[in-house]
Amino acid sequence: MIELNDVSKTYRIGDEEVKALNHVDLTVEAGAFVGVTGPSGSGKSTLMHIIGCLDTADSGAYRLDGQPIEHYSENELAAIRNRKIGFIFQSFNLIARMTLEENVELPLIYQGVPSHLRKMRVEAALEQVGLADRRKHTPNSISGGQQQRAAIARAVVTEPALILADEPTGNLDSKTGENIIALFHSFNAAGKTIVLITHDDRIARETGRVIRIMDGAIDRIARPDTGTQTQVAETAGQSDPTNAAPNGDHSGAATGNGIDAGEKQPGKRSKR
Amino acid sequence: MIFQSFKMAWKSIAANKARAALTMLGIIIGVVSLVVLVSLVTSATNSVTDQIAGMGNDMLTVSVRDDKGNPLKAADLAEIAQDGNIALIAPTAQSSAAAKSGGETVNVSLEGTNGSYFQIRGDELASGRFLKAVDLENVSYVAVLSNETAIGIYGDSDATGRTLTMDGRKYLVVGVLAEDDSMMASISQAYSVYIPYTVMERLSSGTSGVSSFYASAVDSAHMDEAEAAVERALLSRFKNDGDAFYIMNQNTLAETMGDVTNTFALLLGGIAAISLLVGGIGIMNIMLVSVTERTREIGIRKAIGANRRSILFQFLIEALTICLVGCAVGIALSGLILIAINAFAADAMTIGFSGSVVAASVLFSTVIGVAFGLYPARKAAGMPPIDALRYE
Repeated sequence: MIELNDVSKTYRIGDEEVKALNHVDLTVEAGAFVGVTGPSGSGKSTLMHIIGCLDTADSGAYRLDGQPIEHYSENELAAIRNRKIGFIFQSFNLIARMTLEENVELPLIYQGVPSHLRKMRVEAALEQVGLADRRKHTPNSISGGQQQRAAIARAVVTEPALILADEPTGNLDSKTGENIIALFHSFNAAGKTIVLITHDDRIARETGRVIRIMDGAIDRIARPDTGTQTQVAETAGQSDPTNAAPNGDHSGAATGNGIDAGEKQPGKRSKR
Repeated sequence: MIFQSFKMAWKSIAANKARAALTMLGIIIGVVSLVVLVSLVTSATNSVTDQIAGMGNDMLTVSVRDDKGNPLKAADLAEIAQDGNIALIAPTAQSSAAAKSGGETVNVSLEGTNGSYFQIRGDELASGRFLKAVDLENVSYVAVLSNETAIGIYGDSDATGRTLTMDGRKYLVVGVLAEDDSMMASISQAYSVYIPYTVMERLSSGTSGVSSFYASAVDSAHMDEAEAAVERALLSRFKNDGDAFYIMNQNTLAETMGDVTNTFALLLGGIAAISLLVGGIGIMNIMLVSVTERTREIGIRKAIGANRRSILFQFLIEALTICLVGCAVGIALSGLILIAINAFAADAMTIGFSGSVVAASVLFSTVIGVAFGLYPARKAAGMPPIDALRYE
């Protein structure tokens, strides 16, 4: 699915050159669930931008589904982003003055899907993330967790083969975040390839493979032992809002579709 | 897609109503000044051309400047009238006289002519008759009065059968013309009295021959042929000297007046168009602000698959929508203003909505929307997705 071959990317910030990616080789098979971790500034966001065709590498080759991305024009990249990739961001990135329904509909409009099909697919996607009853709301009138679920609905409404999530739980409390991660697991179970960037080792460990990035290069690739998933199920129910437990003693059930209507909102937001 | 773009554009305009309204104001003022000014001028033009047409659109006025010692005679005129393109011909000679009726004496302008004169001018009678051929043959002392003259001298227009003394000679009033409410008539306030051409010749014994005459073409489509026929006849009569006479074609006069008023319309329209242009600059300004404000939105749209063209269209159509909505409001407002002007100045003239200026203002607004929306839209479309997404 994803083949990076000796990919490098350098940014220039002022006079300083930052090597965001330094000769990276990476292969992700179709249907995999990959976690990418690493300290901030390590290059994991750059990696996601290149995988997501939002940016192009300075050197090296990138094949997505066998297509040589590095040779594609800006408009061809837009079409690939539109059809093959679903993005989920830390700050949700919904368009504030549009309703959830309209936000989710947007990628379908760019795809040229006729209106009556769009309506159906938007409804199905919002249903999938448990927001069907909020479809006329604007992003500012719902909680962070709901916003992220709407963003997920927008990402999956086009039925992309690849879902790229950049710190999707970074702005959420741990309970809400776990619900979001559970959604990813359900999409992965349905056959989608998922690349999840996170600084949370616990979330990373729930994925099939953890790639650790350091200073623009892949530092370590780990395959969490198969017991991890079962361990999660056994300890379900113990809430840990501090989101800081480094060991296996954490909460959240990655079962079912993972939607919890009574999800917690960040305190700052619920005061409004 | 286009429909979707307009819907999106409308939503983002509605999200910023006050700003959009102020931006539109520039376009509204431009369109109102364009439509109202040009409609005013067009209506004025129409009323002037109507007046000219009312004087007879198929009329030639000929004056002889130099008769080379061989003045035109009535027989010459009869010969010219033989031409197939010419319907009627009427000699004219002017003079003035002191008219007396009862105790009052007034100055009147005297015009010697024949019966065709009235037909050429399209005059109508209030009472009596026009001059007749026998009046000329018999050199009868008869007179036809204009309506104002009859009222001025006798106090009412029913003067047929009365006697009028002019310069000591008694004339029988045989007819009074109907009221002439044309602009030309209201300009010349003189009392007009029409007498047979032969009487005029006898009164001014010194002169002989015809120094000016009117001719009419068979219809207004044959004006140029009629003019050519008269010119031909006079050239052969006056030894091929084109300066010996002068022919004024009523059509040409109407055309000249039309040219003048068109120039006026263009001038005023041009000034109004400049204000529309200024409105366009306002739109460009606000679109640039809008693009910067919505950098992140542009990044999001690009991330989920919008290509350059989609973004370009989105902002272009937004600018265009502001322009066209402003244009529509401007046209509606112009309609109200014209109705108000008509209500206050109902007598002077009716000011119609000029359809072509409405079309022109729509076209012009469209061009301005595209021209001034293009730069901001291109700026939006060219943003790299990553930079746009990172924008705070």
